Amino acid sequence: MDALERLKNDWKNQTNYPKVTKEDIYKLLHKKSSSIVKWIFILSIIEFGFWTIIGFLIKDNEAQQQFDSYEVDHITTPLIVLGYIVLVYFFTLFYRNYKKISNSDSVKTLMQKILTTRTTVRNYVIFNLVFIYISLLIGIWVEMTKNPDVKLAIAQSSESGDLFIFYGTIAVVTVVLMALTTALLLGFYYLVYGILLKRLKQNYKELKTISETDQQS
Amino acid sequence: MKSTREQEFVTLVEVHQNVIHKICRLYTKSSAEHKDLFQEITIQLWSAYPKFRGEAKFSTWMYRVGINTAISLYRKSKRKIQSFSFDDVAFKIPQDDSYDDTEDQQLSAIYHAVKQLNDIDKALVFLYLEDKSYKEISETMGISEVNARVRMNRVKKKLKQQLNP
Repeated sequence: MDALERLKNDWKNQTNYPKVTKEDIYKLLHKKSSSIVKWIFILSIIEFGFWTIIGFLIKDNEAQQQFDSYEVDHITTPLIVLGYIVLVYFFTLFYRNYKKISNSDSVKTLMQKILTTRTTVRNYVIFNLVFIYISLLIGIWVEMTKNPDVKLAIAQSSESGDLFIFYGTIAVVTVVLMALTTALLLGFYYLVYGILLKRLKQNYKELKTISETDQQS
Repeated sequence: MKSTREQEFVTLVEVHQNVIHKICRLYTKSSAEHKDLFQEITIQLWSAYPKFRGEAKFSTWMYRVGINTAISLYRKSKRKIQSFSFDDVAFKIPQDDSYDDTEDQQLSAIYHAVKQLNDIDKALVFLYLEDKSYKEISETMGISEVNARVRMNRVKKKLKQQLNP
């Protein structure tokens, strides 16, 4: 008799499990779930809230007010509108993904759906990063063409022959800022979701390997 | 006030609770983890219960939700587990060592080897031990029937090698 058959015989005869009463089960129904899906959804909401708050914080500060005085609404308004449209789009996706996940799907389908949810969150973060970059570049361009102080600095640099250094410094600072923002956000993102989904990803990989073997056989 | 639906669900879980215990037994290492996973599976079952139409047997449906929870949804918590308050004396989870009271050492070694398998193989073995057909196994796992067979054979070989090096 092979090992599993032997185990099967014993498995069937095992009855010494703890007895959970109806009262215990009733209590359980009112406990909160700590499932991965729930955590992903909570994190999505937190990220959504984070970017919305950042948007509002930027709106009220002095630099923004000065920026508004340059009268570049024809550039900023479409950008803001686009930002909100995409925000609503992602929020709808988060919610739809969350609702689509069913714990009575097959193991593989469930895993695929969870990973899709994760991909949506990742795309959302990438969108925000790109949006920040575009806003930053537009902001720099507007400052350089509309801000009297910056225009004066450019003229002075031009006169003294340091224009190349001036532009170079701005370019380096911009790139460093962008790199720092990217590293910080992506690092945080991979850390949080990496920990959360490590086991699930391993299991999904394993299940995929089985399916690939099937295709070959 | 407990609804009829709730009463019906609780009765079903009470009757079929061994299915959950068996999943917990394979996927956890301590009684605290066992309790925690038992709790999560029950919550997941309850959340999916409105969609349970009764086409499948309740226990068959439990396998699917239970395995999904163990493999995909459950997060082993590092915090001190403050799960439901079972009577701790009554809720003594039989760990593998204590299963062996009347068993020989070989059986204990088999249990140990199965627990060392990865989550997916453990699920296959679990369904196999529960006498599920390859059709049911393939439907639960989302892989083909042929594949479930191939994989089970590999697992059997792997266990054999481990037990008779």
